[in-house]
Amino acid sequence: MSPPARGDGDGAKGFFTDTTVCIGCKACETACKQWNQLPDDGMAFAGMSYDNTGELGASTWRHVAFVETATEGLGEDAGRDGLAWLFSSDVCKHCERAGCLENCPTGAIVRTEFGGVYVQPDVCNGCGYCIVGCPFGVIDRRDEDGRAWKCTLCYDRTKDGQEPACAKACPTDSIQYGDVEELKARAQERLATLHERGATETYLYGAGEDGQPGTGGLNAFFLLAAEPERYNLPPDPVAPARKAGQAWAAAGIAGLATAAAMLGAVLTRGRGR
Amino acid sequence: MSGAPDDGRNVDPRLGALTGEAAGQAPRGRGAPPPQAPPVEDGGSPTYYERPVIKAPVWKRSIAAYFWLGGAAGAAATLGAVAQLAAPVELRGLVVSCRRVTAVAGAASTAILIDDLGRPERFLNMLRVVRPSSPMSVGAWVLAGLGSACAPAVALAGAGGRLGRAGDVAGLAAGALGMPLAGYTAVLLNNTVVPVWYATHRTLPPFFVASGTVAATGLLELTRLSAPERRVVHRLGVAARVADLLTARAVEREAGRVERVARPLRDGASGALWRASSGMVGASLALGLLPRRARAARRAGAVLGALGSLAARVAIVQAGVRSARDPRATFELQRAGLGGASATGRAAVSGPGGRRATD
Amino acid sequence: MAECHPVGFRWVMEAKRRGATIIHVDPRFSRTSAVADLHVPIRAGSDIVFLGALVRHVIESERYFREYVVEYTNAPAIVDRRFRDTEDLDGLFSGWDPERRSYDNESWQYEGQAVPPAARDSETFTGEAHSERATQTGHSHRDPTLQDPRCVFQILRRHFARYTPEMVQDACGVSPEAFGRVADALCDNSGRERTSAFCYAVGWTQHSVGVQYIRTAAILQLLLGNIGRPGGGIMALRGHASIQGSTDIPTLYNLLPGYLPMPKAPMDGSFEEYVATHGATGGWWANFPKYAVSFLRAWWGEAATGENGWCFDHLPRLTGDHSHMTTVAEMAEGKVRGYFVMGENPTVGSMNGALHRTALRKLDWLVVRDFRPTETAEFWRDAPEIARGEVRTEDIDTEVFFFPCAAHTEKAGTFTNTQRLLQWRERAIDPPGDCRSELQFMHALALRMKKLYAESSEMKDRPIQDLVWDYPTHGPHDEPVAEAVVAEISGYRMEDRAPVSGFSELADDGSTACGCWIYSGSYAGGVNQAARRRPRTEQSWVAPEWGWAWPANRRILYNRASADPEGRPWSDRKAYVWWDEEAGAWTGHDVPDFIQGRAPWYRPPEGATGVDLISGTDPFVMQADGKAWLYAPTGILDGPLPTHYEPRESVMENPLYGQQCNPARMEWHRADNPYHRAVDDPRFPYLITTYRLTEHHTAGAMSRWLSWLSELQPEMFCEVSPELARERGLTHGGWATITTARAEIEARVMVTARMTPLRVRRRVVHTIGLPYHWASQGLVRGDSTNELIPFVADPTVSIQESKALTGTIAPGRRSRAGARR
Ligand SMILES: Nc1nc2c(c(=O)[nH]1)N[C@H]1C(S)=C(S)[C@@H](COP(=O)(O)OP(=O)(O)OC[C@H]3O[C@@H](n4cnc5c(=O)[nH]c(N)nc54)[C@H](O)[C@@H]3O)O[C@H]1N2
Ligand SMILES: Nc1nc2c(c(=O)[nH]1)N[C@H]1C(S)=C(S)[C@@H](COP(=O)(O)OP(=O)(O)OC[C@H]3O[C@@H](n4cnc5c(=O)[nH]c(N)nc54)[C@H](O)[C@@H]3O)O[C@H]1N2
Ligand code: SF4
Ligand code: SF4
Ligand code: SF4
Ligand code: SF4
Ligand code: SF4
Ligand SMILES: [Mo]
Repeated sequence: MSPPARGDGDGAKGFFTDTTVCIGCKACETACKQWNQLPDDGMAFAGMSYDNTGELGASTWRHVAFVETATEGLGEDAGRDGLAWLFSSDVCKHCERAGCLENCPTGAIVRTEFGGVYVQPDVCNGCGYCIVGCPFGVIDRRDEDGRAWKCTLCYDRTKDGQEPACAKACPTDSIQYGDVEELKARAQERLATLHERGATETYLYGAGEDGQPGTGGLNAFFLLAAEPERYNLPPDPVAPARKAGQAWAAAGIAGLATAAAMLGAVLTRGRGR
Repeated sequence: MSGAPDDGRNVDPRLGALTGEAAGQAPRGRGAPPPQAPPVEDGGSPTYYERPVIKAPVWKRSIAAYFWLGGAAGAAATLGAVAQLAAPVELRGLVVSCRRVTAVAGAASTAILIDDLGRPERFLNMLRVVRPSSPMSVGAWVLAGLGSACAPAVALAGAGGRLGRAGDVAGLAAGALGMPLAGYTAVLLNNTVVPVWYATHRTLPPFFVASGTVAATGLLELTRLSAPERRVVHRLGVAARVADLLTARAVEREAGRVERVARPLRDGASGALWRASSGMVGASLALGLLPRRARAARRAGAVLGALGSLAARVAIVQAGVRSARDPRATFELQRAGLGGASATGRAAVSGPGGRRATD
Repeated sequence: MAECHPVGFRWVMEAKRRGATIIHVDPRFSRTSAVADLHVPIRAGSDIVFLGALVRHVIESERYFREYVVEYTNAPAIVDRRFRDTEDLDGLFSGWDPERRSYDNESWQYEGQAVPPAARDSETFTGEAHSERATQTGHSHRDPTLQDPRCVFQILRRHFARYTPEMVQDACGVSPEAFGRVADALCDNSGRERTSAFCYAVGWTQHSVGVQYIRTAAILQLLLGNIGRPGGGIMALRGHASIQGSTDIPTLYNLLPGYLPMPKAPMDGSFEEYVATHGATGGWWANFPKYAVSFLRAWWGEAATGENGWCFDHLPRLTGDHSHMTTVAEMAEGKVRGYFVMGENPTVGSMNGALHRTALRKLDWLVVRDFRPTETAEFWRDAPEIARGEVRTEDIDTEVFFFPCAAHTEKAGTFTNTQRLLQWRERAIDPPGDCRSELQFMHALALRMKKLYAESSEMKDRPIQDLVWDYPTHGPHDEPVAEAVVAEISGYRMEDRAPVSGFSELADDGSTACGCWIYSGSYAGGVNQAARRRPRTEQSWVAPEWGWAWPANRRILYNRASADPEGRPWSDRKAYVWWDEEAGAWTGHDVPDFIQGRAPWYRPPEGATGVDLISGTDPFVMQADGKAWLYAPTGILDGPLPTHYEPRESVMENPLYGQQCNPARMEWHRADNPYHRAVDDPRFPYLITTYRLTEHHTAGAMSRWLSWLSELQPEMFCEVSPELARERGLTHGGWATITTARAEIEARVMVTARMTPLRVRRRVVHTIGLPYHWASQGLVRGDSTNELIPFVADPTVSIQESKALTGTIAPGRRSRAGARR
């Protein structure tokens, strides 16, 4: 059983999402919903730039974030020099140390042969513990159903040697699917080019254990152009189980101390009425 | 699906159907409409339109009662076992009361857990695998073990001879699982990404154990006991209440390393409830220390203690939900070096902005 | 382009990856701006000033490609001495007739030489000059030094002399710095070694001077030598997936397939007259009779004979303008009785929805073919005026027939894309329920009509009786075999129905039939060329074996211009098509767009006729003079040179001329189509522009019914700058009401810095941005933007002015009655 299954090593597949070439077309989000036959999340104007679906969830497994960065000196004919509109297609990260998987008490969440983190719907019992185990707020429970759902890394496509629907639909190759190690190399190259061209604010998010020790690295990692918080990504996420040892220890000590106190109380009870 | 036509050009109701063993159970939804944020965000530290970065726990409110009952059952089970070892004859009454309390509380907590899962057989799924990395898995086994040990212990409490001895063995087994049951629920919360839970690794478990013992002693004080038994429970109760109050402050301090993380324990409904819990425990302690205590006062103290312990659990759960809804709690916790860095000893905060001082 | 052509835009991103500079000129900051190197916010409706200033910059700073300009364009041509420019007449050209509100273009002609337009539209060309024409290509009077004050080049220079960077600031709200950056980037990236491309779509076309926007870009690209060369050109990013196809094989009232003109009364009385008017004795169009005869043979087969003028009289004659808005206006007068709406949702997509519905109410019958009942099909029970109680359903007599249609995935056929590329599509799934393809519907309709008129002996019914209609069918619903239609369009020999290899095999003696000469060869060798799918990795970078491009599978038109007059590539880097001396032939990466074997130094001998008149240095073979037109002596109704006119409804006076708007624009003066004051209407102080969102498609019937798309943009909204929001008290996420003289609509408010107030002429112009995808049906509903917009159009192609108008905005929802102002 433990240590929990890891996704790295031979032939783990994943995504390199290069947000600097994303055009915010949402083809990925739509393709995912179509392939997986997911319902809409309601029809409400969110006022969050062009993002009306808001976040990843039980029925949105790809989500495109729209970030309008503030500009200096807004005001008549001040111009809009600082203006930037960043797009990023978010998805389950298929973490090396997957909080959801490590938390799942039923073994419903497994690591596939492609290194993907996959929820087996017939095993999930809806306990919801994976949901608070995910440092990225990805997996969620579907209200009309009671089970936890998220990106499957298109297990049903990759099994047949097809690339995931979202990557297939992406017109600009902002989403690149492939061998994680190979993708990392490609990402490093791209980053170098961007820095040469002066885009020094760009960086890789979650590429490899060094990039993100808390999760041991992400099989779906990103090239970003602003602080992670702006894309609703945590700056230094961690799979919570990494700290469980301390908690167990504290619980153990407390338990022994209490047992001792009980013994004390019993021994010092004294006699008679 | 907002009435999309079924002409094969939209969600296919057949393909999209939610089928399978676990389908068709509907816990209450959390359909909060998305907030409307200004497109150009204010001076505050950046978030994504103030949206939560992690998902809030989906458990029903009753989960707090589950934690509380588990704590009481666990503490009672252990006390019963200790008493049985140290003074099997003189404290027989206490031993039996402990087993009863354990049985009732344990059964009730199991019932609540199952209710939260939706269907009884869902609980059995928990026992499909042993997953040490999942406190919920460990807890499920502990609860199952304690439950199955406690049942004969209670049933055979009155019996003598072989059966009686078998019951005693079961009682000891239950006792051995008592502390784990009282403590694991804290670890279960620590082992999440909810900032206020995650940030209290060292202090939440001791608090839960102490608070569980407060609950147990409170319930025991309501049962009929001999004088010495009463003294045992009373002394343990006093110690437990003191420990409860001290560890509660420790929890606040540990969470307070990042101001934003501790907020739910300071203000709002959860904060009020949290303070109220300490107030009640404090009050019950005071009543407990009154010389020549009247029976009424003693009972009042017992009830206050038990309720205080329950209030604490509710407060912690509520605080967690609030903490999860506040993206800055997560961001600032991690910027302060309490995320992956502290867990792995390897500092790596992604992207520009470096580390932001928090307090 | 990222918004509306995301799949095509992948190549722009690929170019950017390789270091290309992307410039986006647009009033609003869109998804395209987000990934562009430079976004230039411009006042909607002012681009001719911006582009004209670039023309001026290129000329004045001598950055033009001189050899290309002298040899390949009409820059040296001397123009008739009667010609007067807008500089002389304060915004009018010579030949203006105030009564007819149109131009007589006689004075625009070349000195001593009249030429017809490449698109054979005789409305703008009077037959008389024929005798003079076509004794040669090139120009009888020319000045290669470009010094003659009456040469095109000098006229062009004077015409744009006042289009300065300062004027750009004044008219477009674009700073001289920003303008400078664009000008330098463009010039530095043009010439022998490098080329630049322009991409445009309806942000440029939907103006009362739409055609001239594109003309200005064409002039600029010609001056820079960016036409007919790899990496150059002007890309018209077309609309619906095959809108290019529907212009080639037109749904346009005044064209026949392959841009053959629809015969007009009275001048096209007989086939001979038709050929005389539109053909030419010299130049490429000497082939006109071959294409026309083959076309008539395709329609009427053996019945079309030389004796009966190839059944030319079976074709109706145009008596006037039957463009979209004109027809609808006449419909509202009760002059139209029946109306087919197939693949269109005009009460939402077209201007002035209310006027449209008024027209529909006057019909006897209306046929709508769509996925599901659209607002157009439902106009009789679900419309603002019915909600307001102004119209009662019981009072509407129109009989409405609704036919559910098959979607593009549910039928086979071709799409012709922006690049003239035909791509074949297989049927992926069968259409649900009663849905049928257009092909099936038209086939069934044709058979019924033939049956209906079979017995008739009336002359007027002969066209239907003689019509060749022998398409094989398959499947349970007698779906015609789409390949058979392609084969007919591509052309065949009459005697054995053997496919022709291309239009070069077409004859004027009736021995060939061809549905559309420019598509000839798309079924060459009996192979469906459009279905070719060789991956680009397995062929040259031009990828000639992916699909099939008209004409003759050429990927770049006029590519003879990619070589210098001697036939050598302008540079190795930009080598594309060149003259191979040994082979004595044109060769290169693409199919050469020139008369094969014609040497660069060929000059037409005395008395040469037909295509022999085209010299070796005439790359633009479709033009009568073989040269590209900087100056258009004919073919365009509102002037030989682009001139800046303000939109019909504008927030400012024309900064350049006394003439405020395009004098030749089309207008419809009627009570239900009221106009604002041309300038500064105090009631309507703001500029409104309209556009699309990636998440929806045009009038919405393809996206508003689909949950996956609807949830992405669930509500009609307007985009305003924080400054305008402050000025009008609009709150982000709240409601606003947008009003014009035509109607008022409500929308959610999106306050965003992506909208920019522009300073023009010591005043600030605020723009209200409106997507136009919503209406009263579907999963997501909202008010329709086009209720706000009047009928106004460009004279040459009668496209509506929907990109720049005036209006006002106020916080709150509209009055439930939605009363008109
Ligand atoms: N997703 C999606 N794709 C589509 C369509 C769709 O509805 N949805 N429609 C298809 C069709 S039919 C067509 S015709 C094409 C249209 O494709 P586009 O022309 O790209 O579509 P629009 O958004 O109408 O207009 C483009 C831009 O023109 C800008 N604009 C407005 N006025 C002016 C002006 O005066 N000058 C300049 N420079 N820019 C101006 C608008 O701000 C807008 O950003 O898209 C096709 N593709
Ligand atoms: N304000 C404003 N107005 C505009 C524009 C603008 O930029 N601003 N743009 C203009 C432009 S460029 C255009 S093209 C028009 C578009 O305006 P319309 O063409 O009126 O609107 P669409 O929604 O494109 O209509 C196409 C219809 O065809 C249906 N359809 C799709 N496939 C098929 C098929 O295979 N068979 C049949 N029978 N039907 C099918 C769709 O469901 C849809 O209802 O809007 C114009 N209106
Ligand atoms: S991102 Fe969340 S859901 Fe996805 S694998 Fe990691 S922990 Fe699990
Ligand atoms: S909800 Fe399902 S997947 Fe998540 S932890 Fe529980 S059993 Fe595992
Ligand atoms: S991999 Fe498949 S499931 Fe995951 S986001 Fe992409 S399309 Fe959706
Ligand atoms: S499909 Fe590609 S380009 Fe479009 S939004 Fe998704 S990631 Fe971005
Ligand atoms: S919808 Fe079709 S035409 Fe439009 S971008 Fe996508 S693929 Fe191209
Ligand atoms: Mo269009």
